[in-house]
Amino acid sequence: MSTKGTHIPDWLQVPFAGITPAPSQKGQDLFPTGNWRAIRPVYRDKMPPCNNACGTNEKIQGYLDLVKRGKYLDAYALIKEDMPFPSVTGRVCYHPCEQACNRGKYDEAISIRAVERFLGDLGQALPKDVVKPGKPNGKKVVVVGSGPAGHSAAYQLARLGYAVTILEKSPKAGGLNRGGIPDWVLPQNVLDREIERLVELGITIKTNTEVGKDVSWDELRKNYDAVVLAVGLINPNSIRAEGEDTAGVHYGLPFLRDIGMGTSKVKLGPRVAVIGGGNTAIDCAREAYRQGAQEVTMITVEGNASEMPCVPEDLHDMVEEGVELKHGLACTAILGTGKVEALQLHPAKFSGAINASPITVNKDAKPERFAVDNVIIAVGQHGALKWLPDEFKNDKGGIKADRFGRLGSTNVFAAGDVVQVGQGQPLMVVNAVGDGKRTAFNVDTVLRGEPLQERMVAIDVITDLARMNMTYFPKFPRVQQAMLAPASRRKTQDEVIQAFSEEQAIEEANRCFSCGTCNACDNCYLVCPEPCIIRYDRSNGLYKILVDYCKGCRVCIEECPTGCLEGVPELDFDTGVVRMDTAFAITQGLHGRQAEELRNLPDRPAKDIG
Amino acid sequence: MATATAGKKKTVRINGCVASAQAAKYADVDVIAAYPIRPYTATMMALAQMVANGELDAEYIVADSEHSQLSIAHGAASCGARVFTGSSGVGVQFAFELYSPISGARMPVQMMIADRTLDPPGDFGSEHTEALSTRDMGWLMGWSCDAQEAFDNHLMAYRIGEDPRVLLPQMVCQDGFFVSHITTDCELPDPGQVKEFLPPYKHPYPLDPRHPVSHGPQIMPEQGPPLQLERARAMEGAMPVIEEIHDQFARIFGRRYDPWLEEYMTDDAEVVFFLQGAHGVTARHAIRHMRARGAKVGMVRLRTYRPYPTEQVAASLSKFKVVGVIETNMGLGSVSSGGSLYAEAVAALYEVPKRPLVFSFMAGMGGEAIVMKEFYWMTNKMIEAQKRGKIEKRAHWVGFEE
Amino acid sequence: MPAIEVQRQMLPMLGSPNQGARFYNPELPATEPFVPGHRTCAGCGPSIQYRMTSKAAGDNTILVGPTGCMYVANSSYLCTPYNVPWAHTQIGSSGSFTAGVAAAYEAMIRKGKWKGTFPNIICEAGDGSASDIGLASVSGALYRNHDCLIICYDNEQYANTGIQASSRTPYGGMTTFSPPGPKVPEAKTLFPKDLARMMAAGHPHCYVATASVGYPIDLMNKVRKALNHKGAAFMMIYTPCQKGFVYETPRSIDLGRLVVESGLYPIWEWDPEKREFDYSFRPASMRPVSEYLKLQGRFGHLHAEHIATLQKFANQQWKMMNVAIPEALIKAADAKNLVDMASAEAAAAVAQTV
Repeated sequence: MSTKGTHIPDWLQVPFAGITPAPSQKGQDLFPTGNWRAIRPVYRDKMPPCNNACGTNEKIQGYLDLVKRGKYLDAYALIKEDMPFPSVTGRVCYHPCEQACNRGKYDEAISIRAVERFLGDLGQALPKDVVKPGKPNGKKVVVVGSGPAGHSAAYQLARLGYAVTILEKSPKAGGLNRGGIPDWVLPQNVLDREIERLVELGITIKTNTEVGKDVSWDELRKNYDAVVLAVGLINPNSIRAEGEDTAGVHYGLPFLRDIGMGTSKVKLGPRVAVIGGGNTAIDCAREAYRQGAQEVTMITVEGNASEMPCVPEDLHDMVEEGVELKHGLACTAILGTGKVEALQLHPAKFSGAINASPITVNKDAKPERFAVDNVIIAVGQHGALKWLPDEFKNDKGGIKADRFGRLGSTNVFAAGDVVQVGQGQPLMVVNAVGDGKRTAFNVDTVLRGEPLQERMVAIDVITDLARMNMTYFPKFPRVQQAMLAPASRRKTQDEVIQAFSEEQAIEEANRCFSCGTCNACDNCYLVCPEPCIIRYDRSNGLYKILVDYCKGCRVCIEECPTGCLEGVPELDFDTGVVRMDTAFAITQGLHGRQAEELRNLPDRPAKDIG
Repeated sequence: MATATAGKKKTVRINGCVASAQAAKYADVDVIAAYPIRPYTATMMALAQMVANGELDAEYIVADSEHSQLSIAHGAASCGARVFTGSSGVGVQFAFELYSPISGARMPVQMMIADRTLDPPGDFGSEHTEALSTRDMGWLMGWSCDAQEAFDNHLMAYRIGEDPRVLLPQMVCQDGFFVSHITTDCELPDPGQVKEFLPPYKHPYPLDPRHPVSHGPQIMPEQGPPLQLERARAMEGAMPVIEEIHDQFARIFGRRYDPWLEEYMTDDAEVVFFLQGAHGVTARHAIRHMRARGAKVGMVRLRTYRPYPTEQVAASLSKFKVVGVIETNMGLGSVSSGGSLYAEAVAALYEVPKRPLVFSFMAGMGGEAIVMKEFYWMTNKMIEAQKRGKIEKRAHWVGFEE
Repeated sequence: MPAIEVQRQMLPMLGSPNQGARFYNPELPATEPFVPGHRTCAGCGPSIQYRMTSKAAGDNTILVGPTGCMYVANSSYLCTPYNVPWAHTQIGSSGSFTAGVAAAYEAMIRKGKWKGTFPNIICEAGDGSASDIGLASVSGALYRNHDCLIICYDNEQYANTGIQASSRTPYGGMTTFSPPGPKVPEAKTLFPKDLARMMAAGHPHCYVATASVGYPIDLMNKVRKALNHKGAAFMMIYTPCQKGFVYETPRSIDLGRLVVESGLYPIWEWDPEKREFDYSFRPASMRPVSEYLKLQGRFGHLHAEHIATLQKFANQQWKMMNVAIPEALIKAADAKNLVDMASAEAAAAVAQTV
C-alpha cells in the first residue's frame, strides 16, 4: 500500500475531488481582484443644468424622475422644498431651466414648466398640503409684500418654525402674481388656493396694510424679531415723452394689476399701442384684445423680434393672436387734445449692447405719426420706497442690501425684484421666489445667531453631452400642451395653455436625460463583468461598487447614460484599497476551510430555487 | 431474446453482450450512452430494445462519438444518475481524453468493453490492448471469461465503484467474440436479490441546484498532488471493499469468485499460465489434456487488473517454477518487447525471495483462438525453461517460432 | 412504478429598457448566480455575457463549462464564482456533457429519484469549443433535442490559450496563429464559419438565436426564450475580448453595439415553429465597418482593400437580412474610398504578436 502513511499537510487540504462549495452571494472571498484596479468608478451626482438655471434651484431632474415612476406626490413634495406655488410657476414661469436643458441641444428641451404645472395642480387638489409648519421657535418675522418673493420667504420661514405675518397693502394677497399676471395665464382661483395654503401653514396675512401708512418703519423693527421687505417694484417707469399725462395713456403693471384686482375702470378704444418689448408688454398687448381693442400694435426699440427681452413662445402666441409689431422705434411724444389720438415715433436703438442701456433716438429723422386710441407703456418699473430710510435705497429705485439680502447690520432683509432690479439678472417670478427662499434661510441663520455664509456654488454643472452616453436616448419629440385657438381665446379670460394629462406628463418626464444624476436605470448594475456593483434598493445612492473586486475596467462609467459615474485614480483613495498581499490569501491554506465547508454542505439550508 | 421473469431467478442462454445489457437493466440504469462499434454494439442493441419495450426506464442516447458517449456519461453521473456506456477497440481510444477527468471527478461511470484489436488493419478480433492502454487512468478494471461472469462483474462493479469509500469509474471488460458473441448459460437473478445487493447510487456532491457546488475548478500546481494522492488512496482503498463486496455477492447470489485471481489446477503445478479473459476457458480445457499426459501445469487467471492485486499475484506466482504470461495485448517496445501483463507480473514478484522464471507468450493476437497445439507448445517452452533454470527470452511469438 | 411527469420552468420576458423616450432597464432578477472574485480580464466580454445569462436563468440552473476562458479564468485555483451548480468538462464535450446532464434529470425526475422542477441546463462554450473541437458534440445535443441551452460565447478566437485563430475569427483578424506579414498582409485570410446559421439550418426543430452583449435585455430575453423552449436551443453571443481584440476596456459594450451596427454580426432568431428566420431586430443605426475596426488593434494592420473586403462581407450580411443597403455603405465597399487602418485617425495601436 503505497499510500499508507501518507498525510496531506493542512495548508494543502483540498475538498473532495476538488469539488468546490459555491461562494456566498457577495463574492468569492479568496480572490480579491480589486488590486488590479488603477481607476475606481465613483457615483458622483453632478448639478443638472436645469436645476442650476432655475432661480430657486428646484430639483427639476429629481421631480421629473419621480413623475416617470408615477410617484406624483413625492414629486410634488420635492418641488415644494424650493417652490411654494408650483401651480403658479407651472403657468407663468419664464423657465430658464428649459433654455438650459441639455435635451435642447439634442432634439427639443423638456417641457419642464408643463410638468411643474401638472404637479402644482395635483397639489392644489390635495385636501391637505404635504408641507407642514416647523416646530414653533417663538420668534416672529414680518414679511412686507405677498408677491412671489414675500410668499416664498414667508413660506420657508413658517416651515422653519417662525410665527410669520404678511403685510399686504392691496385688498387681496398675491402681489405680482395677482396684479401682474393676466387671468388667462394664471386664473385667480389657482392663486387663491396657494394663498390659502399659506394660511394653513399658520401665516397671518394682513391685507390693506401699507408700510409707511398703516404701519411705520420703526414699528416693524420693534414688533418683530426680523423683517423681510418684499415690496416689489410697483411704480411704472416713464418713457419721458411729451404728453405722457394725456388721458388714454396707461402703464403696463397698473393696467394689469387693476384688472387683476377687479378695480379696473379702463375702457380701451379700438386701436391700442403698447410700448415696450418685454414680457409685461406682451401680456398688456394680449390683454388689450381681451379688453375690447380691435387692433393692437407693439412698438419696440429693438430692431427685430429676436432681440426682444421676452420668452419666445409668448411672443409667438401674441403674434398668433394678431398683435402687429413695429421695431426700432421710440415714442417721442403722445399727441392728442384731451385724449390720445396718435403717437409720434422716431427711429431709435439701444446705445449699448444690452437693452437695459440708454436709448439713442434719431431726432433728425422724420417722425412717424401713428394713430391710436390708447397707449399702454410697459418699459419697466421701480420701487415705491418713500418710507424707507435713504441709507437703504439704491440708485436703481430699489433697496440697497448686502449679498445676503440684509440691510446693514439690522435684522431687516429685503428680497425679490426690489433688491434684484438693476443687478444684472432678469426679473422674473422664479428669481424672486429663489431670492425669498434664500433670504428666509439667511434670516434664520441670523436669528439663530450664526454667521452668514456664502452660498455654495454649483461645482460641477453637467452641460456637456459628451460626458453622457447618448446611445441610450432615442430622439423623441417634445409633448406639446394644447392651446385655445387664437381667434377665440383673444376675446376671453379663459386660460390659453391647457394642462398636461397624466400620460402626457409621464411621456414628457420620460424624455429627461437625468443629466449627471443617477436615476437608478440599472445599467451599471447590468453591464458589470464581475459583477461587483450591488444595489440595496433601486434608487440613487443605494448602488455600491464592491471595491474588493472591481478591476477598474470602466465599462460602467462608459455605459452610464447620465454621466453620474466617474473614474477616479486609485491613488486618490485611502479607503477600500485592496493590498497586493491579499492576492496570496489563496496560498495560505484557506482551501482547508473549503474542504470543511464541503463536508458540511448537506447540512446547509437548501437554496430556495422557487 | 431471453429475459428474466420478474420475481424469479431464471437461467437463460445468452451471449456476453446480452449478459452485459441484462446487468445494466437489473441495475436499473438511468442513462445509457451508445455509439456503434463492433463487437460491443450488441449490448447497446439489446438495451435499445429493452427501452423500446418498456422493460427498462432509461434515457437511451445515441451519441455522436465515443468521446461524446463518455462525456454524456460524465455529465449524467455528475448529476447523480447511474450511467452505462461501452465501446470496443479504437472507440475506447477515441474517448481517451475523458478517462482521467471522470475518475478525477470520482464519478462511478460504468463502461462495458468488448475487446477488439486496434487498427491497423481493421481487425475485428479480440486483443486487450485498447482497454489496457487506459490502465493508469484511475478506473477499476477487470476481465470476465464468460457471459455469467460478465453479468456478475457488472453488478459487482457498480456496487464497488459507487461505494462511498471508493467512488471510481469501472471498466468491465470481456473478450470480443469469445465472450461477447458466444452464447452460454447465464443465471439471471431475482430483482429482489439485486435490490438487496445494489442500493441506489448517491454521489455525495452532485450537480443539484439545491446544493450548488462546482465540479472541476482549475487548480494551482501544488493543489494537484493532494488530489492525485486522494485518487491513489481511493484506488488502493478499493481493495478491501472489493473483497467485502465479493463476499456479499456470494452470500446473496450464491456464486463465489475470488476477487483477484482464479487458480486452476495449481495445487501441485510447477509451471502455470498467467492470463486474463476468455482464453482462460480454453486454457482450462488444455490444462486438463496436458495434465492427463503428466505435465504439472496450471493456470492463474487475473480477474481484477485495477487495482492490481500485487500481493496476491506475488503470493500466487511465487509458488511455481515457471510462469508463462499469455499477453493477448501489444506492448510494442515494452520491457519484454511483448505485452504489458509481463511487466507488472514481474514487478509484483521482484520483492519475493524465491522468484519463478517469467516470460511472455504473444498468443491469441488479432482475436485468433489459441489452439490446443499452441498450449502444448507453450507448456513445452515453460518445462524447457524449468529444466534449463533460465529463460530463453522474455517473449515468444507463438506460431512464429519453432 | 408509473413515470412521474417532468415539470418545466417558464421564465417571464423582461420589458424593453426604452419606455418611450426613457431609458430604464426593467426589473432584473435579484439573484446572482455569478459572483465576483474571478480572474477574467478587466472588461471581459464573455464574463459580461455570463453574468447576464445566469441572471436571466436564475437559481434553478446547472451550468456546464467546457474548457475555455470561462473555465480557466473563472474557476481558478479551486475557487468558484458560480452560485449554482457548475461543472467543467473537456473542450470537445460541450454538447455531450450537457446532454448527459439533461438526460440525467429527465430520467431522475421521471423515476422519482429527484424531486423538483426541471432545471435550466446551460452550456457556456467558447467559439473554439462550439465551432471547432466540440462542433459535433453540440450538433449531437441539438439534433437529439435535449432540453438544454448551448451558448457559444463568441470572442472569435482561442483567448485562454493566448489568442489563437478559431474558425470564428473574422477575416483580417490578427491572432498569434494568424499574424500579418509581408506575405500575408491581411493576417487571417479565411472568413468565419457561420456557426449559428449552420445550427439553425441543420437543427430546424431547435430555437437558435444570435445576440450581443451590446443589447443586454435582448440577450437576456433570448436566453429565457431558449430556456422556455422545450428541447434544445443554441445561441451565439458576441463577446468582445479586450486582450485579443486589443481595445480600451471601457468599450466592451460599445463594441457589442458597433459590431451589430456595422453589419458584421447579424442579430436574428430562428423560429422552430414557423421554421423561419426572424430578422426584425434592427440596430439604432447602420455604420461602415471601419468604425468598428478602428477601435481594435487586431485590425490595425489592414489596408484599404481589406477593409473594403470586410465591408462587402457586411453588405452581404445586411442583404441576407433583407435590409436595404444605404449608398454610403456601398461606397465603403470600394477600396478607392477608404484609407489604410494605419492612417485612420482614431485607429487603435497595432497589436504586436508576442
